[in-house]
Amino acid sequence: MRSRGRGLGYAVAVVALLTFFLGPFVWQVLTSLWPDDQLGRALPRSLTVGAYASVLGGRPFVRWIANSLAVAAATTALCLLIGTAAGFALAKLEFRGRRLLLGAALAISMFPPIATVSPLYLALRAVGLRDQLAGLVPPYATFALPMTLWILSSFFRQLPDELYQAARVDGCTPLLAFRKVLLPLAAPGLFTTAILVFIFSWNEFLYALTFLSSPEKRTVPVALSLLAGEHKEPWPEIAAASVVATLPLVALTILFQRRIVSGLTAGAVKG
Amino acid sequence: MSRGAPSRGGSLAAERRQAYLLVAPAVAVLAAVALYPIGAALWLSLHRHIVVFHERSFLGFANYRFLLADARFWSALGHTAYFTVVAVSAELALGLPLALILHEARRGRGLLRALVLIPWAIPTVVAAKLWAWLLNPSYGLINRLLGGADINWLGHPVLALHTAIVVDAWKTTPFVAILLLAGLQGIPEDIYRAARVDGASSFRIFRSITLPLLRPALALALLFRTLDALRVFDAIYVLTEGGPANTTETLSLYAYKTLMRAGDFGYGATLSVVTFLCVALAAAALVRGLGRGWEEAR
Amino acid sequence: MRLARSLTLVLALLSAACQRGHSPGERARLVFKYQPLWGDPAPLREHLARFAAENPDLDLRVETLPNSTDLIHQFFLTALEGGDDSFDVLVADVTWIPEFARAGWIADLSDGFPPDALRAAFLPGPTDAVVLGGRTFAVPWYVDVGLLYVRTDLTPRAPRTYDELRSFARAAMERHPSLAGYLWQGRQYEGLSCNVYEAIWGHGGQAPEVGRRILLDTAAARTGLLYLHDLIASGISPPLVTSAAEEETRRVFQDGRAVFMRNWPYAWAELQAAGSPVRGRVGIAPLPSLSGQPGPGTLGGWQLAVNAHAPPERRRAAARLIAHLTSPEANLLMALAYGRNPARRATYADARLRAQAPMIADLAPLVEHARPRPVTPYYQLFTDLLQGEFSAAISGIRTPEQALARAQRQVDRLIGWAP
Repeated sequence: MRSRGRGLGYAVAVVALLTFFLGPFVWQVLTSLWPDDQLGRALPRSLTVGAYASVLGGRPFVRWIANSLAVAAATTALCLLIGTAAGFALAKLEFRGRRLLLGAALAISMFPPIATVSPLYLALRAVGLRDQLAGLVPPYATFALPMTLWILSSFFRQLPDELYQAARVDGCTPLLAFRKVLLPLAAPGLFTTAILVFIFSWNEFLYALTFLSSPEKRTVPVALSLLAGEHKEPWPEIAAASVVATLPLVALTILFQRRIVSGLTAGAVKG
Repeated sequence: MSRGAPSRGGSLAAERRQAYLLVAPAVAVLAAVALYPIGAALWLSLHRHIVVFHERSFLGFANYRFLLADARFWSALGHTAYFTVVAVSAELALGLPLALILHEARRGRGLLRALVLIPWAIPTVVAAKLWAWLLNPSYGLINRLLGGADINWLGHPVLALHTAIVVDAWKTTPFVAILLLAGLQGIPEDIYRAARVDGASSFRIFRSITLPLLRPALALALLFRTLDALRVFDAIYVLTEGGPANTTETLSLYAYKTLMRAGDFGYGATLSVVTFLCVALAAAALVRGLGRGWEEAR
Repeated sequence: MRLARSLTLVLALLSAACQRGHSPGERARLVFKYQPLWGDPAPLREHLARFAAENPDLDLRVETLPNSTDLIHQFFLTALEGGDDSFDVLVADVTWIPEFARAGWIADLSDGFPPDALRAAFLPGPTDAVVLGGRTFAVPWYVDVGLLYVRTDLTPRAPRTYDELRSFARAAMERHPSLAGYLWQGRQYEGLSCNVYEAIWGHGGQAPEVGRRILLDTAAARTGLLYLHDLIASGISPPLVTSAAEEETRRVFQDGRAVFMRNWPYAWAELQAAGSPVRGRVGIAPLPSLSGQPGPGTLGGWQLAVNAHAPPERRRAAARLIAHLTSPEANLLMALAYGRNPARRATYADARLRAQAPMIADLAPLVEHARPRPVTPYYQLFTDLLQGEFSAAISGIRTPEQALARAQRQVDRLIGWAP
């Protein structure tokens, strides 16, 4: 992988993959700066930030982002807390019902969400959580938890038993051994899961649309869907809005990415 | 390698107790939130419940019998299966090189990884709209790059589904790459060093060391992507709404239209349950097939 | 340690999210749910403020919905089926009124809006959509109608028959080879249904017949579908129409790359905006028909209804709000500030409106003859079926006969079960 001979093929592959994955987004950023009346041309003759002005001006974008942030963060925190505990147990401890739990969790996440909207709506109304941001967290967690359990249990399982056993021999309870020894090593898995759960919660649309109705509680995906007119589709505005909505996620991802790397170098893993 | 063999530090029973304690919150959340809606859907699927007419009658399994004879269901199933197989294969095939590249990156590593995650980070609806614009027959970049071609990507009966597959692959390959990347980063450097000292070629290293050690991550990616692809909805809804002539209609889309447009909650629930069963079957098959991979990787 | 901190964080976030904001005051809350109008929000806000000022005992709130008909329908279906009473006035698409009325989700407004009064003041199409069984269930807010846009510099006049449409288009296409002839919406969605109904009506049919049986498989229907299919097959309409919704066709037409376009009135403002390549070179006309008489356009538009789950005092207040929003001044305001076509007949003759938007004079006869889609609570049930079959017919996957026969079978079975 490191030999210089790979040179050209490698470079071509890099460029091709990056173009495919980043190209559309770059094009979207360009579209957001494209004057609407020049959309017919191959390339814009001039660039304008009018779309951004229209999207951000007079719209509580910060509010929407804050709402999405609150829900996504709460869901992620909840999933990590619960998922780490359960994942550890699933991976390292012996108990009846291991398979059942994983299977059932998977089964639950496989159920088409659209069929659950109506019953959940009634349930949330019954407990008074309709039109509350907190009301979104349990459904989100339910759909994110299975993935969390599977990823974390898989990660924990991969960690060598010797360290854990060594800590136990030294007199630690399973919980202490877990916290002191395994948790730091599982950091890459934790942060991977955190990113995935966060992004999933942030982008969830169906429940956010149905369960929340007050304008001040709107989350970003629902807010983005408000931008089109009844027939009109303002492409530059839609592009601008999606760019603005994605920036917090990109920022957070950059932060998490560094932790993945440091998580790796921090642990002393014997081969 | 034994998994969780009781240590000398405590008894098996105590360990089991602790285990139950640790999984209790997860079980509680799942049970509390998921059981009622799923149960309600199962119950509804046995009824004829057309919301608008306040009609609710118990039918037993008549809905399921109708479904087995429903040509539109079978078409949707076919489209869904085809979509899943092709899309997931593409995503694994693209995701692995992408993960390898990200793993190798030296400078600007963090930024690169974050940028590659962008397709995954964008809400699906927005991503689909983005691609709808790229694929616009008159204004889209794709047709322009093809020299002003007039290809009707989303309006052609055969092309539409494949275009949707490409869009889905674009959006979710980063997810696969991230999972594989985490797996790659879990492989200790020493193993590579030892192999290179032994004079193994890069390809040999990849095939004999990297791939086998990546099995768990690959299995995980395969499992989750398959389950997601079988339930694809947002992208197709935005791109084609199931058209043209229902050639891109997937199970989820059919269920959605039945539930939310027609207000036929009974049959819609039936479709959802059957979708769920198909997904469960696929999951069971995969877990069984991949379960061996998990054990072997140790 | 980390665990405790994480827990605190979760709890803090949850409680922050749980802001139970306002304690109920003495004023009754009145909530108006609608989809945002494209344009400056100020005029509508002022209009609503006037209502609030006149009704100090009410606390008026406005909540917006996403601008997708599907999503709005889905939201209302879930909410109203769940007995939601957190909103009072709602917008409804013209095809939903029979459905919502049958389900008992919208209140009878005949007291405040007697059907005769409605029929006298409002256009016949929307009135037929909201007056069911002699009772008023909603009040029209604004209307839409399918019509033909014509490039006046490329054709001598608007075509009156289908033959003229084809020949005018061909003539222009021969003079300018890169032109498309006739653009319309052929993507598989409700817009396609509108186009197909217009084709069926233009061929002399009543589509579909709604009596005891919903008759789809008629001669006119077959001819209409064949006509649309042939438009694409013969090259008059480019292949892109099978994936085109309103905006796709509008942009191509606005770039001057087509001779005719079928679309809603909203496109006019865009086509005549500064910077539009076709500014000043476009006219509107009724759709062509087989006989040469103006072909009816599909009726679109939105109505205002009252949530039947709300308690009686709020329902009365909601009716007052609806009266305020559908008054002649409100109709004029919607037209002047937002380009929404009035539902009241008289507004079309208003001098100010004519001064600002001269095409309103051409639009008036078109909306007068706008024809609604089948007014039946079954509409949502079968429209989805039809869209699939219509799409199959126009893209040539099935012949019109096959498509209609299949649709007929499925609809028969569906309706056959209904009470």
